[in-house]
Amino acid sequence: MQIDVFETKERILADNREAAKLNRLRLAGEGVVFVNLMGSPGAGKTSVLLNLIRLLKDRCRIGVIEADVDSDVDARKIAETGVRAIQIHTAGLCHMDADMTGRALEHFGPEGFDLIFLENIGNLVCPAEFETGADLKMMILSVPEGDDKPLKYPLMFTVSDVMLVNKMDAAPAFDFDLEKAEERAKKLNPDIRIFPVSAREGRGFEEVAELLLQLLAEKKGRGNEDH
Amino acid sequence: MKIIKVGASIGASNEQAAERLREEMKSSGTLLINLMSSPGSGKTTLISRLIRDMEELSIAVMEADIESAVDAERIEALGARAIQIHTNGMCHMDAGMTKAGLRELGREQEDLIFLENVGNLICPAEYDTGAGLNVMILSVSEGDDKPLKYPLMFRESDAVVISKLDALSYFDFDPEECRKRIENIHPGAKIFPLSARTGEGMEEFENWLKERLLSWRNTGDQAPA
Repeated sequence: MQIDVFETKERILADNREAAKLNRLRLAGEGVVFVNLMGSPGAGKTSVLLNLIRLLKDRCRIGVIEADVDSDVDARKIAETGVRAIQIHTAGLCHMDADMTGRALEHFGPEGFDLIFLENIGNLVCPAEFETGADLKMMILSVPEGDDKPLKYPLMFTVSDVMLVNKMDAAPAFDFDLEKAEERAKKLNPDIRIFPVSAREGRGFEEVAELLLQLLAEKKGRGNEDH
Repeated sequence: MKIIKVGASIGASNEQAAERLREEMKSSGTLLINLMSSPGSGKTTLISRLIRDMEELSIAVMEADIESAVDAERIEALGARAIQIHTNGMCHMDAGMTKAGLRELGREQEDLIFLENVGNLICPAEYDTGAGLNVMILSVSEGDDKPLKYPLMFRESDAVVISKLDALSYFDFDPEECRKRIENIHPGAKIFPLSARTGEGMEEFENWLKERLLSWRNTGDQAPA
């Protein structure tokens, strides 16, 4: 019985990877950089986005797909900045998969955009398993959550390209060892790039913004070569 | 440190398995508490504090995680019985998995058994574990809008602990607004703002747990829906 469950899961993930490839092809055609932003509920995904929008909106055309099980509070916050945002409700599903992402992108209309963020469902488990076709997987670990999270949720740290350590301003109130958290993440994923930030105080985002602009330049460059 | 792997229930419906488990726990007089929250809200810290504060009660713990035994090790270090469950990547516990965990834990006529569920605000709310009580934690660092965004978890919980109260000044968390939002989704939910670190608010929560244990042992008690 146990084996049946595994095979089904493997099939689902394999099918998902195929769907993710299609998303990637479509977005490459448009020259759009697509970022999958993940983290626990309350880690600061929306606040981080607001900071990145602040730094980038005059330098490239940004869009946001907000995925939640309920409510549109997040999409509203983004829309207040003047950036186009749509709110997806996943009918209780705890992650976005490539199919849902494809449909969301279709609805969003990526033409004319440079950088699209998917703010994934607040969850450190399931989103790590499902490719969405993103160019970059960015996860947030917030200081109050604890420096042991890489030990307990290893897949999320293994699959992510970038890790933001958010709420650094609150560090005095918690026993969070930044060095330990970084060590533990790098043990799982030596290539992960780590940026300590404070979304509340607006600190630490310049380097992250540069990384995204660099990615955009590279993608546009590749696009120009193909034409 | 006992680490066991459990797989999802297949076959008999989870609801039936949960009801059966609740009946078993009723006859043994042990209250099984399903503790749920996001990662890092303070589940293990809360259980540790309860073990230290409520010395007169016999408490055992089943720690459920995707990976690692750090949580079960913390509980064992306090001298309490604990096992570590690895869920084979599953993002929640169900009644079958809980039953398997209880078999491995072995029963010693405890007063309370905590099931520390996988850190996740979504899936655990969808699966009845057979517990006699569902308690969730929302920490002040996560934001007061979480009841709007994850309503099912708040609806399914008998009590909501608002944790990390000692750190409130670092965050834009409005306890009154949060309370209103919780009551809107779940009228009558018990709300316990506290700090497991400083002890603030712990007495009220502990008194409530003891009341619920007495209630569980008396005939004619209501199990949570």
